[in-house]
Amino acid sequence: MSMSVGQSGRTTVKAEPNVVPMIDVMLVLLIIFMITVPALAAGFQAVPPEGVNLKPHPEEDSDQVLGIDSEGRYYLNKQAIRNEDLPEALRRIYDARTVDKILFVKAHRDLQYQRVLDAIDIASKNGVRVVGAISDQRPGTESSVEEDRAAAAAQTATP
Amino acid sequence: MGMAVGNEQGGLTNEPNVVPMIDILLVLLIIFMIIQPMMRKAIDLQLPDPTPQAGPPPANVDQIVLEIGPNMQMSINKEQVSKDRLASRMKEIYDPRPSKVLFVKADGTNKYQDVIWAMDVARGAGVKVIGVPPKDANK
Repeated sequence: MSMSVGQSGRTTVKAEPNVVPMIDVMLVLLIIFMITVPALAAGFQAVPPEGVNLKPHPEEDSDQVLGIDSEGRYYLNKQAIRNEDLPEALRRIYDARTVDKILFVKAHRDLQYQRVLDAIDIASKNGVRVVGAISDQRPGTESSVEEDRAAAAAQTATP
Repeated sequence: MGMAVGNEQGGLTNEPNVVPMIDILLVLLIIFMIIQPMMRKAIDLQLPDPTPQAGPPPANVDQIVLEIGPNMQMSINKEQVSKDRLASRMKEIYDPRPSKVLFVKADGTNKYQDVIWAMDVARGAGVKVIGVPPKDANK
């Protein structure tokens, strides 16, 4: 090679970069994405509506999430559930609770509102007191409500 | 150190090379830093009481109802409001009001995104509690 210098002597100087650490990092990234992508894509998929003035809800283990996909199918905590089984499943969960009677609803944005109303109706008849309509923050915006911003700041300060 | 052998010039060290491990740990740290702030955001809706008391409901005259008819025809307490006037009208109503409660009664044919949009505007105008009326409420 014309560029290499000192290749002929006893002590050689290599001009090639050491790519081994980079390959290590790339392999780790590859493994991570191989694990997370199927987990994210599996089962339930919905694009929630966008909003600006949203209330942050830190995720907790006790949260129940009802998904409604673009076909109107129900998923309770990402598990597909038949429409007629939903009332009983909700009743089992919320009858045991005296506090925290909130159900998060993650519904597809292009659904008819009637589909969401039906789910809200089932929820209200089976022990749910509050429905949290999961929405995405519109990129580059921040809630104009003072309490939301304070809650979001508290969330990032203490992870 | 007792274990080190041949630490003199050109010697062998038997300490492990931790540089690749640190590389990987830093990458993991960055990934978790990116994932962590993706917290859940939602608009809370108060649901109707499933077991209403018999008899007439308490006459609550000054409650505010946002009706959203088919094709996003909106009216606040029967007063027509256009889409771009909603935010300012809401502010006019809620700024002097101590009770920040709004009932949203939306027609089922609307798109979910549009109903959420209206609730979002309401929250921006100072509404603290959004209620959903019972399904078969009086028309």
